Amino acid sequence: MKRLLLGAVCAFSLTVGTAVQGGVQAADEITVAALTFVSSSPLFIAQERGYYEEEGLDVSFEFFRAAQPVAVAIASGDADFGVTAFTAGFYNLAANGSLKVIGAQSREEPGFEFSAYLASNAAWEDGLKAPEDLPGHELGITQRGSSFHLMLGLLAEELEFDVDAVKLTTLEAVPNMMSAVSTDQVDAVILPGWLARRIEGEDGGRIIGWVHDYTPYQLGGLFTSSDNVEERRDVVERFVRAYQRGAADYAEAFHQFDEEGNRVFGEEAEALIPIIQQYTDATPDAIKASASYIDPEGALDVGSVYQQVEWLQEQGLVAAQADPASFIDLSFIDSHFNLPE
Amino acid sequence: MAEAVRELKFRGGGFAPGRKRWTALVFFALVLGIWQLAGSRGWVSPLFLPSPLAIFEALRAEAISGNLWIHLTASLQRIGLGWVLGTLAGLALGLAMGLFTLARSVGLPLVSAFFPIPKIALLPLFILWFGIGEASKLVTIGMGVFFPTVVAAYSGVDTVPRNLVRMAQSFSLPYSAIVWKVVLPGAMATIVAGFRITVSLALILVVAAEMIGAEYGLGAFIISAGHLMMTDRLLGGVVCLSILGLLAGTGITLLERRLLHWR
Amino acid sequence: MQVIAEAIGHDYGPLPVLENVDLAVREGEVLAIIGPSGCGKSTLLSILGGLLQPSRGRVLLKGQPQADCLNPLTFVFQDFALLPWRSVAGNVELVLEHHRLGSAERRRRVADALARTGLSDFAAALPKQLSGGMRQRVGIARALAVRPAVLLLDEPLSALDAQTRELLLEDFESLWVRERTTAIYVTHNLSEALRLADRVAVFSRRPGRLKELVEIPLPRGQRSGAQAQVELAALHDRLWGLIRAEAQSAVTELEHG
Ligand SMILES: Nc1ncnc2c1ncn2[C@@H]1O[C@H](COP(=O)(O)OP(=O)(O)OP(=O)(O)O)[C@@H](O)[C@H]1O
Ligand SMILES: [Mg+2]
Repeated sequence: MKRLLLGAVCAFSLTVGTAVQGGVQAADEITVAALTFVSSSPLFIAQERGYYEEEGLDVSFEFFRAAQPVAVAIASGDADFGVTAFTAGFYNLAANGSLKVIGAQSREEPGFEFSAYLASNAAWEDGLKAPEDLPGHELGITQRGSSFHLMLGLLAEELEFDVDAVKLTTLEAVPNMMSAVSTDQVDAVILPGWLARRIEGEDGGRIIGWVHDYTPYQLGGLFTSSDNVEERRDVVERFVRAYQRGAADYAEAFHQFDEEGNRVFGEEAEALIPIIQQYTDATPDAIKASASYIDPEGALDVGSVYQQVEWLQEQGLVAAQADPASFIDLSFIDSHFNLPE
Repeated sequence: MAEAVRELKFRGGGFAPGRKRWTALVFFALVLGIWQLAGSRGWVSPLFLPSPLAIFEALRAEAISGNLWIHLTASLQRIGLGWVLGTLAGLALGLAMGLFTLARSVGLPLVSAFFPIPKIALLPLFILWFGIGEASKLVTIGMGVFFPTVVAAYSGVDTVPRNLVRMAQSFSLPYSAIVWKVVLPGAMATIVAGFRITVSLALILVVAAEMIGAEYGLGAFIISAGHLMMTDRLLGGVVCLSILGLLAGTGITLLERRLLHWR
Repeated sequence: MQVIAEAIGHDYGPLPVLENVDLAVREGEVLAIIGPSGCGKSTLLSILGGLLQPSRGRVLLKGQPQADCLNPLTFVFQDFALLPWRSVAGNVELVLEHHRLGSAERRRRVADALARTGLSDFAAALPKQLSGGMRQRVGIARALAVRPAVLLLDEPLSALDAQTRELLLEDFESLWVRERTTAIYVTHNLSEALRLADRVAVFSRRPGRLKELVEIPLPRGQRSGAQAQVELAALHDRLWGLIRAEAQSAVTELEHG
C-alpha cells in the first residue's frame, strides 16, 4: 500500500517535473532509513549543511528503533538509502540480491575506543582479566549473528581460540546484557564503550579490553537497493557524494588527538554536536563518548566484510551462497581498501 | 372457485453452523497450492514469503540434523512445566476466590490490576528477579497462564448452581466433600474452557520466554531465524507452533469428552 | 423426632417475610403448608431444615431419630437438585459417602432406595437421560437412603406435568401408608395437601403468619370413598376460602402499591 502510494507520489512529481520544464529542475525525492545513532551522523550532517540539496536531492528521513528494519526497508523498496551495522541478518538479506553495499559506516579503528569487552565482577575476581581469558566463560550477546557475536568470532580468529569454548547466552537487547553482566548472570559482554564505562563507573563490572585493540573491523555500511543502482545510478552517485562530504566533516571534527594521543573535540566538533543532537537526542558528552571512527571518504574495509561473511557462513548463520562480491558495489567510491584479490 | 394451494415455505434454516472435515482440507490445500505457485512462479520474493516447500525443506533440514527435536523438547518442557505451575497456582487462587470472601475481596482487584500487564514487558524484571535460567522462562509462561486460569476458576465456581450446594449442605456433606464433589465438578466446564485459552497462551509466551538466555527452544529458534532473516526457518518454527496448538486443542477436546461426558 | 418452631420471624433485609410462627410438627405426621405465593413457605422450610438462620425465634428438636438415621432433617427439592455428572446410583451414593458405612451397607442402602422408588433399572443412567418424574424419584430415593427422621419437601411435584404428578402422588401416598416418616410438605396445590396431609397449616400473605391449622381427620389411603370425598370437599372449600382471601388481598396489595 505504502509502496503504491510512494509510486503514485513519484509519478506525480515526475509529471510536475516535466510541466515546469525550463524552470528550476525539481529535486529528486529520496527517503533515507536510519537509526538515531551517532554512527549515522554523516547522513544528518549532509542534510543540515545542505549537501543533499546541492546535489539536487530532496531527502526525508524514516527512523527506526532497530537495525533489521532499516535493511528490510531498503530491500522492500520503502526507502532508498540506509546505514546500519553488519549482522548475519543483514548479510542474508543482502545475499538475496535486493540490496547493495556502497559505502562505509563506522569501523573499529585502532585508537578509537568504541566497543569494549566487559567482565562481570565475579568473573573478574575469578580471573577473567583479558579477552584472552574468555574461553571457558559465558558471554552475553543480543542474538546469534549480531555484531557482538561477530566481534567474538573475529576475536576467536585473531587469538586462535575455539569459539565454541565460549558459552553464548542470548539476551535479546543491550539493556538486558547490561543488567545480566552487572548481576553476575553472565561472565562477560561486549558493549558500546560509553555504556561499558558507565557500568564500570557504577562498579557493575570491569572493562578488560577494547575491540579496536584486537580486531579492527568494518562495523557497518551505507547501502541502497539493487534497483536504485541499476535504474537511478546518477541519484546514487549524487547521494554518495553528499554522504562523503558529511563523513569528511564528521572525520574532521571527531578524529582529532592531542600530543599525548588523547582524543580532543575542538570547534568543529562543537559545531556539529547540535546537529547530531537534533537527531539522536543524546547529550554532548554521550555524543563525544560514542563518536566512532567513520572513514572520511566513506571507504569500506572490503576485506573485513569478506572475513565477516566467511566466519558467519562457517557458523551456519549466513546462507552458503552469499557472496560479498555480489552485494558490494565498489564503483561509487574510489578509495575502498583492503580489497581481496 | 377453488383456493390456490401452495406449499409452505421452510424458514427455519441457518444459525446452526456445523463442521465439515472435507471443506477445511480442500480449503487448506487450495491455499497451500496458490501459495506454492506464487513462490515458484516468482510472484513474491522468497525472502518476503517463502513457499510452503521451502518452509518444509527448512524444517526437514532441522529435523535431519536433530536440532528440531532438541528445540521441540526444550520448548515442550517449558510449556508443560510453566503451564502446570501457572494452572495449579491459578486454580488455587481462583477456587479460593470462588469460595471465600476474603480471597475474593483481595483477589478481584489483584487480577484486574495485573492481568492486563504484558508479561513480555516484565521480562527484563523477571531476569533480575529470577535470573536468565529456566526460572524466568517458567515464570513468564506461568504468569501468562495464571491469570486467565484464576478468572476461569472463580467464574466457574460462580456458575455452580446454588441449589446443588444447598442440597449438599442439607445432607450435611463436609465442606471438603462439597468442594470436591459438587463445586469442582460443577466448575469444571468453565475451567476446561479456560485451558483452551491458556494452552494457546503458553504457546504464544514460549516465544517471549525464549527470547532471552535460551540456547534451544522453538521460540529461540523462531527469534533467531527472524534476526538472521531466514524467513523460511522462521515460518517453519511458526508452523511447528501451529501444529502444537492444533494438537493441544485436540487434547483439550478429548479431555472435555472425558471430564464433561455428562453434558 | 419432633420439630418445633418457636416464635420464628424472618426478614430479608428490610423485607419481613415471616412473623411469629409457632408450629410443632408431631412425630409421624405429614404436615402440609399452604399459603399465597411469596408468603415465606420456602423460607420457613429452610429455617426448619437448618439451612437458614432465622432473624427471630428458634427451632427445637425433641426426641432422638431412629438408630439407622444418617440425616435427621432431609430435603426433597422442587428442582430435584441432582448432580448432572453423577449417575442415578451415584447421586444417591453421594449422600452416604461421608458416613462411616461399610461399602456393602452403602451398596445395600443405594439398591434399597432405588428399588423403593422403582429406579433399579436406571442405576447407571445420567439425570439428563431421565424424565422429570424419574428425576424427582431420584431425589426421593436419595432422601430415603439416609433414613430421615423428618422429610422436608418444598413443592416436590410442582415442576412436573399433571400425569407424572399424579403417579408420584400415589408413590408418596403409599410411602406414608407403609412407613410413618414425619414430613413437612410445602405445596400450592390443595388437592395434594388433602391427599397426603394429616394437618394443613394455612399461612397468611407476606409477612407470613400461621393463620389456621386444619386437621384432616381421615386416615391416609382411605380418602377415595364416596363418604370421604364429601368430607374432603367440605375441607377443600374451607381451605380454599382461607387461601383465596389471602391471595386476593395479596394481589390487590400488588396492584395498589
Ligand atoms: N434470599 C432472599 N433474599 C431476599 N429476598 C428473598 C430471598 N428469598 C426469598 N425472598 C423473598 O422473600 C419472600 C418469601 O420467599 P419464599 O421463597 O419463602 O416464599 P414462598 O412462600 O416459598 O413462595 P412461593 O410459593 O412462590 O415458592 C418472597 O417475597 C421472596 O421474594
Ligand atoms: Mg417457595
